[in-house]
Amino acid sequence: MSGAVALGAAPAGRARAGASVGPLRFVLAAALCLVLSIAFQAEFGAAGRGTATAPLLYLPSGRYLQIAALGFDELLADALYLWSIQYYSNYDIADRYDYLEHIYRDVITELDPRYLDPYLTGSMIMTTEAQQPEMALRLLDKGIQKNPDQWILPFEAGFTCYQTLHDYTRAARYFDLAQAVPGAPPIVQRFKAEMTRRAGDIRDSLQEWAAIHDAATDEYVRTIAWNHVHDLRVQVDLEDLKQAIALYQDRTGQRPARLGALQTAGILPATPRDPEGRPYLYDPRTGVPSYGGLSILGR
Amino acid sequence: MAVLTLDGVAKSYRTHLSLHKYWILRDLSFEVREGEIFGFIGTNGAGKTTTIKLVLGLLFPDKGTIRLCGKDPSRPEARRRVGFLPENPYFHDYLTGLEFLDFHARLHGFRQPERRKRVLELLERVGLHNRADRALRLYSKGMLQRIGLAQALLHDPDVVILDEPMSGLDPIGRRDVRDLILELKRRGRTVFFSTHILSDTETICDRVGMLVRGRLAALGSVEELVRGEVGSWEVTLAWPSPQDPPIGQVLSRREDRVLLRVSSQADLHRLVGSLNGGGAKLVAVSPARRSLEELLLKEVRCAGAQADGVVEEGRP
Amino acid sequence: MSGRILAIALNTFREAIRNRILYLLLVFAVALILCAQALSLLTVGSEEKIIKDFGLATIDLFGVLTAVLLGIGLVSREIERRTVYVLLAKPIHRAEFVLGKYAGLVLTLLVNTAIMTLCFVLLLVAKGIAEPAMLLAVLLLFFQFLLITAIAVLFSCLSNPIVSCILTLALYVTGHLLWSFDLLRARVAAPWARALCLTLQRVLPDLAPFDVKGMVVHGIPVPPERLGYALVYLVLYGGAVLGLACAAFQRKEMQ
Repeated sequence: MSGAVALGAAPAGRARAGASVGPLRFVLAAALCLVLSIAFQAEFGAAGRGTATAPLLYLPSGRYLQIAALGFDELLADALYLWSIQYYSNYDIADRYDYLEHIYRDVITELDPRYLDPYLTGSMIMTTEAQQPEMALRLLDKGIQKNPDQWILPFEAGFTCYQTLHDYTRAARYFDLAQAVPGAPPIVQRFKAEMTRRAGDIRDSLQEWAAIHDAATDEYVRTIAWNHVHDLRVQVDLEDLKQAIALYQDRTGQRPARLGALQTAGILPATPRDPEGRPYLYDPRTGVPSYGGLSILGR
Repeated sequence: MAVLTLDGVAKSYRTHLSLHKYWILRDLSFEVREGEIFGFIGTNGAGKTTTIKLVLGLLFPDKGTIRLCGKDPSRPEARRRVGFLPENPYFHDYLTGLEFLDFHARLHGFRQPERRKRVLELLERVGLHNRADRALRLYSKGMLQRIGLAQALLHDPDVVILDEPMSGLDPIGRRDVRDLILELKRRGRTVFFSTHILSDTETICDRVGMLVRGRLAALGSVEELVRGEVGSWEVTLAWPSPQDPPIGQVLSRREDRVLLRVSSQADLHRLVGSLNGGGAKLVAVSPARRSLEELLLKEVRCAGAQADGVVEEGRP
Repeated sequence: MSGRILAIALNTFREAIRNRILYLLLVFAVALILCAQALSLLTVGSEEKIIKDFGLATIDLFGVLTAVLLGIGLVSREIERRTVYVLLAKPIHRAEFVLGKYAGLVLTLLVNTAIMTLCFVLLLVAKGIAEPAMLLAVLLLFFQFLLITAIAVLFSCLSNPIVSCILTLALYVTGHLLWSFDLLRARVAAPWARALCLTLQRVLPDLAPFDVKGMVVHGIPVPPERLGYALVYLVLYGGAVLGLACAAFQRKEMQ
């Protein structure tokens, strides 16, 4: 041992044969090794560790990760979620979306299905950054299944269908789900009504808006609802009139002279009036009914 | 030629939570010479085991120097020719006697076949050759003591240090240890042992150091230590008279026997001379040497008085 | 000198294999490895991955547990049971004692790991999915055990088993999370905080180099540099830890 560490040269006074053996030589040796290891790590660390994030991409599915989590599933979900945010906000990593679905749908939300943030953030990343709205919807579908008491998840899904996919029928379905959850804010209902309209179901939409109007407790909502009801009423009436006119034409071979003729012919029970109470306008030469007033919402 | 020297050694102990230092040893200085049997005596808790640990480099002194075989005890060379048996030996109890000694022999650097030879030799010498393959866990206290001695003597050391070697042994065991120590001396080895059983010390030690409350209260040969004490005699008389004898201090009376202490040779002569007629007869006379035990008790009382502030205390 | 270290090493090994806890851990480990077979029945899809993942994880976990549990008592138990007195009274350097105990533990871990690996390999062979890369992963895990055990021995020289256990396990956890210091450093503003992160990252033991389980299971070839790096890091950092352990033990009072 005495020959081993030349650098552990004890101070001169201790070099006598009789003097005691101090720990100095070991401390120096240890310090040297530590310094060398730090230098080594600094120099070659990248090669040695692989990229820090690479191993985490090889996460087994959450079901198996649960075993390793030893009951700390939720904590692990938190940690992974936090990591994922850091990871996905690092735009330097080129292929970072390769495992996006795996990480969010199969790992984090498996470990803690009731943790909402991963669904919301994950779907946002998928939609806006990775340009994969269907992937986002799959994630949100899982979230909806696991958290039927949360309105935000179907709302978010509906919003994605509306804004990104422009699939209003699907959007309406999601908003329907959302507004059925107790505690959902009233705006969800309005979204649903509007999506229904955009999907083309103007009668259903009218019904919904009418219901909103009737149930409204605050002036603001009532006004909005009324606006929609007004315009939809006009639309529905005009459509009804057009259908009736066509039927009349089929029966008699010619267009009616006035709208009242539709009622006389028994096609309509009564001649509809517009929301202001005035009769609808009708041009017998073209056979096209129209509304005499102004559409509130500009349609 | 001193094999062991302590010079101004002090050792303190500080409990974890308090800042208060408690001195176990203060200003301890003595030496053990080659070829002598040195007994280190004192009450329990006086610091004997601490001293031995300091001597072997198991502890480090706060002050002072220690030289074992001329070197600082923390250096392995100092311990090369030293054998040690701790008090209440604790050994790896999962080992058998044979494995245990083989292990220790390796630590001394013995190779085969020398190693095996020595191990068997020592096992015979301590009388454990029949039970060498039993685990130490199953040894009795006496057997553990013996295997401990075997371990201490494995390399035929020049200096043997024993901490309370007789404690817990029956009289036969104690006699064996005593004989072993005397044999070591006969072969020119040095023995340093601590004990609180004083009777054995008086008969075998060349010199004695008495440790009282961390200080050396007495140091020297047994004769030197008890010489200064007033020698007295115990005289047994047949004494029919109810009165006390004129000379001497009555220790006890029974029927017509009286036991007296006579404190000087002159008084003894006068007493014996005065025993003429009257039915008084001399039955027995024996010199009562002041024993080490009495000396120790006296020193302890002194130290107690010092600690209580009755007598002025020396510097630590 | 090496004779003395060897003597202590063999004695330590002997003590370890007569320790019932070791057998308990080993039996559990083997059982768990064999469980991998049962677990793989639960999966839809490749059972190969499950068996490999599980087997390697078991070896990792039980190796670390053994390294820690045996390491923390290595020195402190000898002192506590006072068996150390008669040993240190022999003409040996205190450092020889520490290194000898460490060497004995290394030997124990070697045998332990070998047995677990054997079971694992037999299972893999029986399933027809054995690969030499698995052994590479185990080798690196073994290096990890050596490093962790050195840390446990260091704490064993400084303090009692409970504190040693907590601290060693804490360093094990941080050893696998050092990557987070990188992320933290990028997020934190104050230069002193950044310096602190960097210092901690460099000074604390880094266990990531020893973990190639993921790579091996996914069939990604492990470059030889990684093996070399892990070995050199083990030697340097482990050397530093053992040096500190010897230093601590050199002046330790044997009360």
